[in-house]
Amino acid sequence: MLFNNLNLTTLQRRTMGMLSGVIFLTILTNVATPSLSIRLTNIFPGLAHLTNGEQTSPLIVGLLSLFAVIPVLMAVGVVGHYLKSEPDEFIRTLVVRALLWGFAVTMAGNAVAEVFMNIYLRPFPLSILNADIFFISTGIAFRLLQRSYQ
Amino acid sequence: MKNCLRELRAERNWSQADLAEKLNVSRQTVNAIETGRYDPSLPLAFKLSRVFALPIESIFAD
Repeated sequence: MLFNNLNLTTLQRRTMGMLSGVIFLTILTNVATPSLSIRLTNIFPGLAHLTNGEQTSPLIVGLLSLFAVIPVLMAVGVVGHYLKSEPDEFIRTLVVRALLWGFAVTMAGNAVAEVFMNIYLRPFPLSILNADIFFISTGIAFRLLQRSYQ
Repeated sequence: MKNCLRELRAERNWSQADLAEKLNVSRQTVNAIETGRYDPSLPLAFKLSRVFALPIESIFAD
């Protein structure tokens, strides 16, 4: 199994598996969101031929934006269930601290992106990768925090 | 909060992993408590008290 070498409990392994699914769904929503291709085209005009200048109907855009909410809600559910079920109080503390770090990194990334967008007056893809940045930075923060108590 | 967990563990020849197993927590938890970087909750302090068969106040001190 993928997580066997991490010395995880069954609950942690199951949660990691579910979070991997959530991250995969997040990546899927990023690719499916029409705004990603529009923003990439703004930065790399050479990619314009990939979008063919097609206009997406407002209904599809609305549905896709709702689709983007699903992984976020799933992540809240998975982490909430984990925090409720984890018997080790210290690990629960580490998870909450890692989540705060993930939130901080995402907010800091957004603040930096906002400055760049205001200066260069063009969109920056970072702003639609919030969920990805949050998941990755939370995961890295958790591993670093855990290592500090080895 | 200070504690004498390391000494009590050494007296019994228990590793951090042994104590963690008895408490049903991770080894990192035992390490964090021993080094004073984490103060356990009351239920975990009671568990420690039961494992070492000592009152809480003789394990932890202000």
